[in-house]
Amino acid sequence: MKQAVSILVSVILASSFCFVIWVVATHDYRWEAIAPYRGNLISGWWMTLLISAASLAGSVAIGVLLTAGQLSGHAVPTFLCRVFVEVIRGTPLLTQILIGYYLIANSIGWDSRIGVGIVILSCFSGAYLSEIFRGGVESIPKSQWLSARAIGFTGAQTYRHVVIPQAIRRVLPASAGQFANLIKDSSLLFVISVHEFTMQAREANSNTYATFEAYLPLILGYFLLTFPISLLSRHLENRFRYEH
Amino acid sequence: MSIEINGLTKHYGATRAVDGISLTLPDEVQVLVLIGPSGGGKSTLLRLLGGLELPTSGRIRMNGTDLPDTEEGLREFRRRNGFLFQSFNLFPHLSALENIVLPLVKVHRWTRDAAITRADEVVARFGMAGHVKKMPAELSGGQQQRIALARAMAHGPDLLLLDEPTSALDPEMKAEVLDIVAELCEAGQRIILSTHEMGFARGCADEVVFLGNGQLVESGRGAALFDSPQTEVVRTFLGRVMKW
Repeated sequence: MKQAVSILVSVILASSFCFVIWVVATHDYRWEAIAPYRGNLISGWWMTLLISAASLAGSVAIGVLLTAGQLSGHAVPTFLCRVFVEVIRGTPLLTQILIGYYLIANSIGWDSRIGVGIVILSCFSGAYLSEIFRGGVESIPKSQWLSARAIGFTGAQTYRHVVIPQAIRRVLPASAGQFANLIKDSSLLFVISVHEFTMQAREANSNTYATFEAYLPLILGYFLLTFPISLLSRHLENRFRYEH
Repeated sequence: MSIEINGLTKHYGATRAVDGISLTLPDEVQVLVLIGPSGGGKSTLLRLLGGLELPTSGRIRMNGTDLPDTEEGLREFRRRNGFLFQSFNLFPHLSALENIVLPLVKVHRWTRDAAITRADEVVARFGMAGHVKKMPAELSGGQQQRIALARAMAHGPDLLLLDEPTSALDPEMKAEVLDIVAELCEAGQRIILSTHEMGFARGCADEVVFLGNGQLVESGRGAALFDSPQTEVVRTFLGRVMKW
């Protein structure tokens, strides 16, 4: 029975996959129409890579700060971080980008679209990461904290030697998913005219009406960015594995 | 060790885990055993005596000095002691050896080489020499508890506090651990132990304290409390637990 189910599932998945590939591959494409835009697409890809890499680092930093604030045990930072996380997670990124660039950045006289975009994406993704990190820290059993206390570790030593090494492995899969989202979310920076990957495809399309030819490269381009993160996450998960 | 406890209470919200305990023990008490029903206050009293918690009110004087009343002071106090809990509180991401070495290096500022030499010594004494490279998950409950005991003993603690060290073990593993504790008692180690092993308590204790509902019900020298209990509560309790 179990074997029959697994065969059935495999057949359905494999045939669906083949069907999709066949449909996509046999479409009548006009690649020559978007050929002149190749350079734009490539520069857009690099722009997305730059924005993603910077936002990834920024979001980890902000995520760690927000987690630390929420776990600090002091009422004011806990409350403020909580509010920040809830507001960021509960409102559309598109609106945040618009307000962040046209209202906030504008009012302090900062007009680097890329810079502002990186900061906003870092805040957005950092809010999600902080919830993942907080969940990881809080999933470490009370007995571990007690043990560390009994040994005479300080709070910082407890985090450094006991909590973080165990929490890292638990937060890796969810964090990798969040990083992939961050890369794809960077396409929303088109609203402040950042010439990233999706924006270039959009422009190529509106100039040529070769819709699939303009957007299909996005599949390959984004996958090239997200897949290495997935691989790295798997690799790190194995490195931090301790159950055997 | 001399211990003076005066009007000691510890409340968790509305729960009075320790509810007004006073007790004076003379210097010649080397092994103090806490017995009584679960939820009677044994663990809490042990944690107060070991400096893991601050009392709600009252004070503890040990060997002529009051226990510190600040977290920093208590941390220093805890560092001089060793603690072993009921459930196996080894750090799961570190090998058995590293579990012992880490506190020696980070808390007691030993060199790594000295710490490893010392860990090998203690582990050999507890019959665990062949298991130092293993992760906690690869050890049986009794083996984990012996490593945890080695960790609590490695720095030569003034006082060893054992909170029901065998309650989570099957009978054979209980014996493994109790043999070692008995050996430590004979070697002159100061020990405070809470346990449900009445035979063991009777054999090892210099002084036995019976706790119920957070209060001291009865205390007595060595086997005296078991041979001629003065209160009905203790008589009933001993009658029940000795029956099988």
